[in-house]
Amino acid sequence: MPLPADTDATTPKYLRDKYAIVGVGETTYTRGSGRTTRAMGTVAIRNAMQDAGLKPSEVDGMLSYSGNDSTPSTFLAGDLGIRLNFFMDVNGGGSSTEALIGIAIGIMEAGMCRCVAIFRSMNGYSQVRIGGTGARSAAPINGDALHGRVYGWQSAGQMFAPTFMRHMYEYGTKPEQVAMVKVVHSEHASNNPKAFYKKRYTVDDVLNSRMICKPLHLLDCCVETDNATCIIVTSADRARNLRHTPALIRGVVGRCSKPRADMHYQCGPISRVAGYYAKDILWPNAGVGPEDIDAVGAYDAFTFTSMLQLEDYGFCKKGEGGEYVSSGITRLGGKRPQNTSGGHLCEGYTHGMNMVIENVRQLRHDVDDYCPIGPDGKRQHTFDYREGGCRQVRNIEVTANLGWANPLTGSAMVMRRG
Amino acid sequence: MSDWSKVTRPIPVPNQWTQPFWDAARRSVLELQRCQSCGHFQHPPYATCVQCVSTDLKFEPVGGKGTIYAYTIMYHTGDKRFAPAVPYASIIVELDDAPGALLAGNLLGSPYTDAKVGRRVEVIFEKLNDDITLPQFRLAR
Repeated sequence: MPLPADTDATTPKYLRDKYAIVGVGETTYTRGSGRTTRAMGTVAIRNAMQDAGLKPSEVDGMLSYSGNDSTPSTFLAGDLGIRLNFFMDVNGGGSSTEALIGIAIGIMEAGMCRCVAIFRSMNGYSQVRIGGTGARSAAPINGDALHGRVYGWQSAGQMFAPTFMRHMYEYGTKPEQVAMVKVVHSEHASNNPKAFYKKRYTVDDVLNSRMICKPLHLLDCCVETDNATCIIVTSADRARNLRHTPALIRGVVGRCSKPRADMHYQCGPISRVAGYYAKDILWPNAGVGPEDIDAVGAYDAFTFTSMLQLEDYGFCKKGEGGEYVSSGITRLGGKRPQNTSGGHLCEGYTHGMNMVIENVRQLRHDVDDYCPIGPDGKRQHTFDYREGGCRQVRNIEVTANLGWANPLTGSAMVMRRG
Repeated sequence: MSDWSKVTRPIPVPNQWTQPFWDAARRSVLELQRCQSCGHFQHPPYATCVQCVSTDLKFEPVGGKGTIYAYTIMYHTGDKRFAPAVPYASIIVELDDAPGALLAGNLLGSPYTDAKVGRRVEVIFEKLNDDITLPQFRLAR
């Protein structure tokens, strides 16, 4: 959809489109990488530099995030022959991708460096599992954590489940509606050669999979994988001399939080998520609204997280998320396809990075799928979305990413085709 | 009915803010931190009132009756100490006497299927050891 004229006069719109994502890269999504996070991170950054057409000497900034389960920027920079003018490794998970892109813009705007590689490297299956088994269970209970773990609350799914249950109570949301998030994302994954799970699932498959914690069935939960991902951000001016059509960054909101972001269930209504607040920064900063968005990456750690964010960012009315995600709108070929790579539910789990990477490729009009390669070496998209076919969104111009740490904290970003 | 008999719960370690809560629980009394300036109840206890930032906070006994605000049924648990009890209900309770301070607990003494939003519950006390007694909930009688 073409962008509307700029009408907003209150936000720093001079930064709109001034920075771009110019390179993206990843390692294979596996369960059991057999490699260190250092090795994987190095490969992902190298792939992103090659994708952009950048030499190591042209990258001088690095940002990463982790839950103490990765390798510092300084190690990877040295391995890659990069001399850094700026780096920072921050603690955090799913809300980090868009937030770090915002930080990258800020430090470049401040003249501190010129080109930033953002990476996330994690052995999320074979080492530290977000699902809460292993080391996380053995940690002593002190301070405020006692109000959950002593009652058997531990993993992300368990912590978020009351929000999902309350949503079902307040709005009549049905499990079979929310299961459609998995169904649709699995359809998209079936056209993604990189996806860890390429199988297409039905609503019955989801509802008949074993219960993990009500209302989450196994197939409502994302896949834990080992992988690294990288996104390279630089100025739009510099982007014009690089390999690909740049994905221009229209607006970002980073780690926007509800009140009392430390205690998930202490701040009602718990069916409300951080997007309720973040939308008032995202849309004015980007100068667009939900109606202008052609494709969405809605963080799908769980089927429900995707739906809750779509509601609170205004893609549908509050309480109508179940209807929205089961309406066909979110499918390839629908009005606003989402998670076209299969997302965390199917492609792999890399704390938000892969859904930004996917939208960058979508905006280049050159997403990797099963379409034939033409005589010019370019992929010829068929827009036939049947299994094993295309996953390129036709004429896509503007995308949104909705990142989720938990119900209380989120980040988001709008990009457009340069 | 969930079988809690084989579950060894992790033992909470009180700190300077939470100690009065645990001291009261050991006497089978539910006490929550209340701001003496604006009257807000909060849980877990903090150094300041999260409503008005006052530091004038005291613990006051509250009635143990309330309503299930949200819940989940755990069928799978990362912390294997809880594995013998699955499936079990973990609930969040809105107390009649302390609006805004929601309490976590397990629903004890009835089948996990009895956990529903809006059900009336009351506090009971589960002794873990000589130092720590855990506030818990059962259906109101």
